[in-house]
Amino acid sequence: MGGDDRPKKLDRRDVLKGLSTLPALGLFGYAWEKQRRYQRARVAEAAAAAPAPADLQVINVALLGAGAQGQVLTDSMLRISGLRFRAVCDIWTEYNQKRVVNSLKRFKHEPNAYEDYREMLDKEKELDAVIIATPDFWHSQHAVDCLEAGKHVYCEKEMSNTLEGARKMVLAQRETGKLLQIGHQRRSNPRYRHCYDKLLNEAHLLGRIVTVYGQWNRGVTPDLGAPDRYAIPPSRLAQYGFRDMHQFRNWRWYKGKGGGPIVDLGSHQIDIYSWFLGANPSHVMASGGNLYYDPKTHEWYDTVMAVYDYDTPLGPAKAYYSTQTTNGSQGYFENFMGDQGTLLISESEINYAGQLYRDPNAPAWDEWVQKGYVTAPQEQETKPKSDSGAIADVRESVAPDQHTVPVTLRDPYHQPHLQNFFDTIRGKATLNCPAAEAYQTAVAVLRVNEAIEARAPLAFKPEDFKC
Amino acid sequence: MDDMTLTRPAMIAITIMRVVVGWHFLYEGIAKLTSASWSAAGFMRASRGPFAALFHGIANQPQLLDTANLVTSYGLTIIGVLLIVGLLTRLAAFGGLSLVLLFYICNPPFVGYFYSIPSEGSYLIVNKNLVEACALTVILLTRSGLFAGVDRIVRGLVFRRVAPARIGAA
Amino acid sequence: MTKNDMGNDGGVGLGHPSDLRGVLCFSHEAMATVYEVYTAQTDRQYAAQAAQACFDLVDRLERDLSRFLPNSDVTRINHLDAGGSTCVASSTLECLVIARHMFDLTDGAFDVSLGTGLPSLRLDTDGSIVHATANGVRLDLGGIGKGYAVDAMAEMLEDWDLPASLVHGGFSSVLALDPPPGREGWPLTLSDPRDGSRILERLTVRQIALAASGVRKRDHIMDPRTGCPVRDRRAAWVALGRPPGIAAAAVADALTTACMLLGWNQIERLCQNSPGAEAWVLQDEGLRHLGAIEQEIHHGW
Repeated sequence: MGGDDRPKKLDRRDVLKGLSTLPALGLFGYAWEKQRRYQRARVAEAAAAAPAPADLQVINVALLGAGAQGQVLTDSMLRISGLRFRAVCDIWTEYNQKRVVNSLKRFKHEPNAYEDYREMLDKEKELDAVIIATPDFWHSQHAVDCLEAGKHVYCEKEMSNTLEGARKMVLAQRETGKLLQIGHQRRSNPRYRHCYDKLLNEAHLLGRIVTVYGQWNRGVTPDLGAPDRYAIPPSRLAQYGFRDMHQFRNWRWYKGKGGGPIVDLGSHQIDIYSWFLGANPSHVMASGGNLYYDPKTHEWYDTVMAVYDYDTPLGPAKAYYSTQTTNGSQGYFENFMGDQGTLLISESEINYAGQLYRDPNAPAWDEWVQKGYVTAPQEQETKPKSDSGAIADVRESVAPDQHTVPVTLRDPYHQPHLQNFFDTIRGKATLNCPAAEAYQTAVAVLRVNEAIEARAPLAFKPEDFKC
Repeated sequence: MDDMTLTRPAMIAITIMRVVVGWHFLYEGIAKLTSASWSAAGFMRASRGPFAALFHGIANQPQLLDTANLVTSYGLTIIGVLLIVGLLTRLAAFGGLSLVLLFYICNPPFVGYFYSIPSEGSYLIVNKNLVEACALTVILLTRSGLFAGVDRIVRGLVFRRVAPARIGAA
Repeated sequence: MTKNDMGNDGGVGLGHPSDLRGVLCFSHEAMATVYEVYTAQTDRQYAAQAAQACFDLVDRLERDLSRFLPNSDVTRINHLDAGGSTCVASSTLECLVIARHMFDLTDGAFDVSLGTGLPSLRLDTDGSIVHATANGVRLDLGGIGKGYAVDAMAEMLEDWDLPASLVHGGFSSVLALDPPPGREGWPLTLSDPRDGSRILERLTVRQIALAASGVRKRDHIMDPRTGCPVRDRRAAWVALGRPPGIAAAAVADALTTACMLLGWNQIERLCQNSPGAEAWVLQDEGLRHLGAIEQEIHHGW
């Protein structure tokens, strides 16, 4: 350039340096466009998605028992893809059966309606599985007949109201080789599974579980009734083993039909006791009574308190269980108390959804917090120092930190267990509560009513739990 | 402050920081502009700090709220672009600093306050808004636009007649 | 004295206890309010069983509709990202369809998503699936859920042959079926939510759904279109006739919320489009009555 000693206005270095960061803007635009395209593609894909992937094997299902529990199970099953409802069978044709058939039709299923389950098994040619939600005293015959007809069976708990009935179910499953899952749905609940697989069996967070406490408290409720206009004719009631409409609606309270609250409610939780402790009980003693309701319509005990002894792999343990139907204080939960920690859990996603407490003398849980097995602790308030100047007030232990189980169930409570059943049919899983295992719970639970009668501790022999 | 007193690697690092902060601002701004339903109302209504009453007041007045939304969304976008390319760097840094400090005082992480907006991380007085405010301060005071940004070109074009001794005078 | 307390949002009461001799009452807490069944029935045990069946139904609906339960349909919907979908109970979907219809009818004044994007949800009635096409939709079916539950309870009572009944949820959603024998209708009162003893209107109703929306001291109802609280209206009530097959209480619930926000002409138009609908809006200046019978503005007495 010319012999100018004024500084150059702009040389190439300046321009290069000046524009050096401009490409970042270009990069931004590119990244932005990619993200928009991705989002649009996702939305379009969702809009065009078929309801079930083409390779999902469709399972033909029948519902046997369309009462309250049958409806709960149906609600869950309607959210599981790849199921086709072929039939609904219930003796209350005027009411429950019709309502469930109609609700299935709203979901574009076309089930046939039956009153007699044998007719259903005869006529339904394309049936893979039957879901049984009839009263306990019918479970055995229904399950055995369905298994022998070549169907897989999901049967509500309790397996049966008698041990003999339960045994027949296990034998029928063994002979036919079909699947039989019993409806202890906590066995598939992700929170319970997390506790069992990771917290107890991998991390051994509680140390040695020495005592367990569980309860199910429910407030006073009137007996179940039925709309007058849908009353079932007495002849049909008698045909299926019911004395009258009241017994049909309240079978749980009658001897020979159900087992009362300890079986209705307790069987869920006592199943968890054995599962988590890794052992079957060796003794049970129990006290119960009909303290409140009319014994003519409530033949079973409305209040039961039971104590089980266990010989667990880590040592002896005792478990207390109580159920009552006159007061709902604290609802339902199980509390597993070990020498190194405590697990307070229930099926509910809001109350007692899984709280863990580490004993202050136990080794730190940092490793498990890091791995995401438990949440980081929320510190409880420390107790103020005592005024007397003593170094420590030994009467109350320092409150332990509270951790929670970092698993949430977003689906209805029974869905995971039903999903497990259907996944097993498709060969993609194994049953979380097969009949032989559920039989052990049935033994433990049905013995309680006997123990109350006997007014003495009853012993279990290991052979009792085998079939 | 003379940008010659900082070493070249230092200035490169600060430039990278400037571009990164600018990118963050630009993305935040564009996301708000292109979202159908974004409004600063939620953030302001959740204010629990010493100026909570002010922010609640703004959130509840439709006209003030509209202004706040415009200022935030366009402000973030424009400041982001300016910072990335290094144009009007000091102005942009100052504007960004003001915005971020406003966000900070709206929801300061002081001990004893807790917020309904779930936040990631754990903060005690210092949160990412404050850190970003500090970054913008550094950008403001070190004229990285003159080092590697369009400002350098502008300076070349505009200040060509000024004697060298005066260039870089604080 | 009227029952205006627990859970009562909008100042509806049931007339004098002396008017209700021979009427049985059963209560149940659910959805953060108290549901009650009033029925003129001599067989107490049968009535109690019918009421319990109604309450079990409400509990089941709450399990699906409550946004406070981690595994309810609504919570799952609230956790959907753009492109996600979830299968819901048919009752949930029905509720959403009604909510969407009312959203359109009231030009967005009634919005169960409170401005977070209800129209972006695609409702697939065939498979009972909700598809989300945008992020951040947050549903609150609290109000319309109560109305829907009340409608379901009324149907159940009719199934049980208890047509002379009245059901309500927190008195903010009331459905009066046939009146007790010998009476023209169920005696209801509308009163100022800030002062329960000040009765503004007495109604005698049969086969009517009545919903109330109101503001207690220091509470706000937010306008979902602007995000601002409503200031000039203190309460609104909507009464709807109950043709069969229509979820009258749910619709009345939606309309009453809309009445807190819409202009007078729009409310008039809404009342005309829903046959037999009447609306009352309480402002500081007094009570204004729109709909079936146009009257002068009442001042409180």
